[in-house]
Amino acid sequence: MATVMELVKESEVQWVGQPLKRKEDPRLITGLGKFVDDVKLPGLAFASILRSPYASAKIKRVDVSRAEKAPGVICTLTGSDVSKLTDPFLQISSAPANKVKDYCLAVDKVHFVGEPVAAVVAETRAEAEDAMELIEVDYEPEEHVLDARKALEKDAPLVHEQVGSNLVFHGKWDYGDIEDAIRKADRVVNAKLHFHRFSSTPIENNGVVVNYDRATGFLNIYCNNQMPMFCIPWLSFGLKFPSNKIRMITGDIGGGFGTKIISYPYIALICLLSMKAKRPVKWTEDRREHMFANHGNERSFDVEVPVKKDGTILGFKVSAFDDCGAYTRYEPAGATIWAQVSPGVYHFPNLKVDFFQVMTNKAPVGPNRGYSRMQHLWMIERTVDIIAKELGLDPADVRLKNYVRSDEMPYVTPSGGIYDGGDYSESLRKAMKLIDYDGLREEQARARKSGKLIGIGIATAVDSGTNNFGQVKIITDDNPFSGNSEAARVSIDGLGQFQVGLGTVPQGQGHETFAAQIVADEFGINPDQITVLSGFDSAINPYSHQSGSYASRSAVMGTGALLGATKKLKEKVAMIAAHLMKTLPENISFSEGNVVDKQTGKKMPIWQIANVAWVNNVLLPEGMEPGLVALNFWRPNFTLPDEKWRLNQTLTYSYQTHIAAIELDPESGKFKILRYVIVDDCGTQINPMIVEGQVHGAAAHGIGAAMFEEFNYDENGQLNSNTFIDYLVPSAVEIPHLITGHLEIPSLFAPKGIRGVGEGGGTPLGAISNAVEDALAPFGLQITDSHQNPQHIHKLIREKISKLNQVR
Amino acid sequence: MMKSATKSDMIRVTCKINGKEYSGLAEPRTLFVHFIRDELNLTGTHIGCDTGHCGACTIFMNGKSVKSCMVLAIQAQGADITTVEGLADGDKLHPIQEAFWENHGLQCGYCTPGMLISGLFLLQRNPDPTEDEIRRGIEGNLCRCTGYVNIVKSIKAAAKKMQSEGGKSARSM
Amino acid sequence: MTPKKFDYYSPTSINEAIQLLHDNEDSKVLAGGQSLLALMKLRLAAPSALVDISKLQEMSYVREDKDYLGIGALTIHDIIEHNQTIKKKFTLLTDAASKIGDQQIRNVGTIGGSSCHADPAADLPTALSAVNAHFVIRSGKGQRIVPATEFFVDLFQTAVGHDEVLSEIRLPYLPPRSGSGYIKHSRREGDFAIVGTGVVLTMGDGNVCKDIRIALGAVSATPLRAKSAEEYLKGKTLDDKNIADAAEIANEGADPPSDMHGSKEYRMEMIKVFTRRTVKLAMSRVM
Repeated sequence: MATVMELVKESEVQWVGQPLKRKEDPRLITGLGKFVDDVKLPGLAFASILRSPYASAKIKRVDVSRAEKAPGVICTLTGSDVSKLTDPFLQISSAPANKVKDYCLAVDKVHFVGEPVAAVVAETRAEAEDAMELIEVDYEPEEHVLDARKALEKDAPLVHEQVGSNLVFHGKWDYGDIEDAIRKADRVVNAKLHFHRFSSTPIENNGVVVNYDRATGFLNIYCNNQMPMFCIPWLSFGLKFPSNKIRMITGDIGGGFGTKIISYPYIALICLLSMKAKRPVKWTEDRREHMFANHGNERSFDVEVPVKKDGTILGFKVSAFDDCGAYTRYEPAGATIWAQVSPGVYHFPNLKVDFFQVMTNKAPVGPNRGYSRMQHLWMIERTVDIIAKELGLDPADVRLKNYVRSDEMPYVTPSGGIYDGGDYSESLRKAMKLIDYDGLREEQARARKSGKLIGIGIATAVDSGTNNFGQVKIITDDNPFSGNSEAARVSIDGLGQFQVGLGTVPQGQGHETFAAQIVADEFGINPDQITVLSGFDSAINPYSHQSGSYASRSAVMGTGALLGATKKLKEKVAMIAAHLMKTLPENISFSEGNVVDKQTGKKMPIWQIANVAWVNNVLLPEGMEPGLVALNFWRPNFTLPDEKWRLNQTLTYSYQTHIAAIELDPESGKFKILRYVIVDDCGTQINPMIVEGQVHGAAAHGIGAAMFEEFNYDENGQLNSNTFIDYLVPSAVEIPHLITGHLEIPSLFAPKGIRGVGEGGGTPLGAISNAVEDALAPFGLQITDSHQNPQHIHKLIREKISKLNQVR
Repeated sequence: MMKSATKSDMIRVTCKINGKEYSGLAEPRTLFVHFIRDELNLTGTHIGCDTGHCGACTIFMNGKSVKSCMVLAIQAQGADITTVEGLADGDKLHPIQEAFWENHGLQCGYCTPGMLISGLFLLQRNPDPTEDEIRRGIEGNLCRCTGYVNIVKSIKAAAKKMQSEGGKSARSM
Repeated sequence: MTPKKFDYYSPTSINEAIQLLHDNEDSKVLAGGQSLLALMKLRLAAPSALVDISKLQEMSYVREDKDYLGIGALTIHDIIEHNQTIKKKFTLLTDAASKIGDQQIRNVGTIGGSSCHADPAADLPTALSAVNAHFVIRSGKGQRIVPATEFFVDLFQTAVGHDEVLSEIRLPYLPPRSGSGYIKHSRREGDFAIVGTGVVLTMGDGNVCKDIRIALGAVSATPLRAKSAEEYLKGKTLDDKNIADAAEIANEGADPPSDMHGSKEYRMEMIKVFTRRTVKLAMSRVM
């Protein structure tokens, strides 16, 4: 018989930290995954959406009569129908921007190219598309505005007239004394920067299938929204439909990255169509439609940074102009979310940010991997390199001088963020070693002599996770959300089999796997013995109304909720076991599918206890309720903003250092990545294989955005890059091999020391723009845009050369 | 003899998919990817871009990797097709499927079916590809989750597995 | 995205195809379909009938004639990329074919389809213009042979009439001491060109340029021959200076479009850069 000590050892943590093969993969590699477009229901009809060709126009007339007579057509819907059937969606802006009227179809006016104007339901998708072409719309084009700063000018055309202005939000964050710092500085570094529009464009587009069940009165919604329970208030108030009869179901989701959060207007539209058609209705967004669905925030900055000669940064003074497009939707949350990481990774006491969020006649923006922080972090990282250049210092040295130090952790930022541990300097040193920084600098010097341009770019970013919704109180106190919460349910059925349900909504992050690893350790069993429900179904899964997968929260929040549920369940199992084994509950431990009496070493299989708990329940302790199901809701300890808008806006603060080495062809402006290194720290890693995959993916998104991806508008407000023909998603040929290194310094606050990971803070945008500027150092050029289009680089070089020639 | 069909005809299309004969109805304009997904219920093949750029719909057609959104159903009359559903041999995964699983070559899994087919097409021609050759081989398959690092690694690992298993897994697709 | 409805014909011979095109006014030939079907799905093209010639396997071949290399119009890019004769004799075609789209597109797309689609930013039309390929066009009346200079008529428009079919592309053999190259300047490798440059040259004694053809893609409605640069180099030594000087005038007559990937001004500059580089590439391959 095993000794007591051996038994205790067996129960020690073993699955967390293992690169366990994922539980979800067998179905996904055999073509058995179930994505929303795979949903088929008897009597399914198909919707198609007609969209605005104008950036701004009055809708004078919509005539669906020809479309309604087309073959296969079941019904149509127009903005005028929608205005009668629904209320405008909830707005989270303060007055007057909350006067924006957002319906699922444009009512009197279109506000951006691609805005839905009418919809058709037909027997087949092809017929719906044919009929859509028969809808006649008379537009009266109006003036439009496409630039955030211009939209603030006095005579600018109004995106929404009833608001009376294009301003969504103007906030002033002011900490320390930036003016004093500017007075005392050895030098003040200035920059005007622009962060471009792009999106993560998951390969699976949005999709919705709604079956309005007239028998039960339920709206059964199959979709790939990544935050379905957060949609409920929008759907319920908008559709004037009781929330207790809205069922949200997601299956496998083909990538989300935040872009699948604001799909509720489409979900509402398909609900209306299903009710009107009295049929289940499917809408699968095509790629061109997706290109109008959710852009990332475009933002420009005026930056002033007081510095000392030795590179010490005294503060940042920033005016930011954020372009949120034609509707606010999840915005203006984005107007506060950047403040999660207000100083980046740097230690400076003086910070002043004047933040304007502005509407324009472009597609609406919303969350997108690195949401709102990456714009801010890019601005900081770009500026740090400008500082280094102006002072003649190595950018690595300027960073090492200014990083928040590990001995300052937990570090409270000027805006109240509490950084939960880490060692930024070590992360940079490790990355420098991995890429052979000194060797690269020598190589660069040699290359320059032969006319070759090599550039090295560093960026370090905080990758914050698990947001505190209390940040939206900065916009208006009326917003009824704060904190964050998640639900988990762990059960052992009457045959002793484990099942886990979560409120998270995975889009490829391996939640079935990580949840099994967490629960396996708690019960001393193998993850294979645990079934984790795939997808999300509000009628089956536990949830909170903050459930979902966004803001790098699922691992942390899921673990918090799971640990609470397993604790409850273990307590109950222990009580039953103690009763059956005639010992005390505190003597019970869990190992290899058994409960063990620590005092005697006596074991009993869990299935025997489960049997008693469910069906042999006469043997239960007196008064105990039967069953082995534990439901837990977990929330981190968050506060509301104080009078200076200080609050801890997220629970965890992962960080990453990226270094890119590039070679730039000065004749064409094109460049290629020679080497790319990433060092990340997300604290305790539940599954290192999954963590590394997240790090790779975030890096590729940033590299793609920096080098290829851009939502480019012409002067008429037409989106030039509206398919994958012109919106250039990088392939394996463009993305280089990514060399990774890790630190694993546990979070000081999160369960098990885990930090959220996966967004990456847009770090590559900084690393690459810094590398490009570094490559161009012989020309003394400054990079002011986050997107490096070769023709723009070429133009900079040409202009510089012709200027130099003039001087001669 | 010449075949023809007018606009609204529903044509019976019969082809061999994954070793089995399938038959279904299609209009002349029906794309093959819609035919296999909607008519034949083989939903493992995905649609991501509609313009032939993402590769999620890649299948084997008569031994070649092809984007099934860029082929008409009617053109597949009599064709020999392999989709992701046909890669495994019963319960036994194909070595390339095993390699993707073991090397975390997928996250959301949406691009994976096409990626597996392109990987396999490459390995059938070039059993021991270099990293660059692998990257070029999957150039027509976009992935937004993995940054391709582990996909490249998976295909390398699949090459090893397939070589060590010799002719066994060199089934033609 | 679904195309509009169309009639579909699958002829069993080229003559049948020609007859069908003749009988159906608004019909289009479907070859590999990698451009046409995308346009039809986007509903930017909506022919009322498709004449699908993709099954005419007899139109897929590479054959060595006495005076030229004949390539069947339905030969796919993948075959062109890997054909050793092409690689040896017309390396620029290998360059161009290997950079078209991606593997799946190269497995289906055809040289004839790409030629007839006549997208000025596509790779093969530019390369074929540099080779001065001859295009064999079949009709009910017989066949005619059109040189590249006359084949590409305008944007997306060729000498192939509505009831005609391109059957073969002939590449006249190059004299000894010739070399060729094609370089595409694009954002991503598989994208359409911002500027594509194809060069075929023949050396005389020493480094003297005996003959040269320079074709430019994506800078005009059709592939454009850089005649001034060609004339400049003929009879001159191919040294760095002469090549650079020729490249400087290579954009004469170019009228490139502007888009998000390349403004007109940028393309005008890139013509110079890539003409220079492609001439050097072709030189390095002179045998």
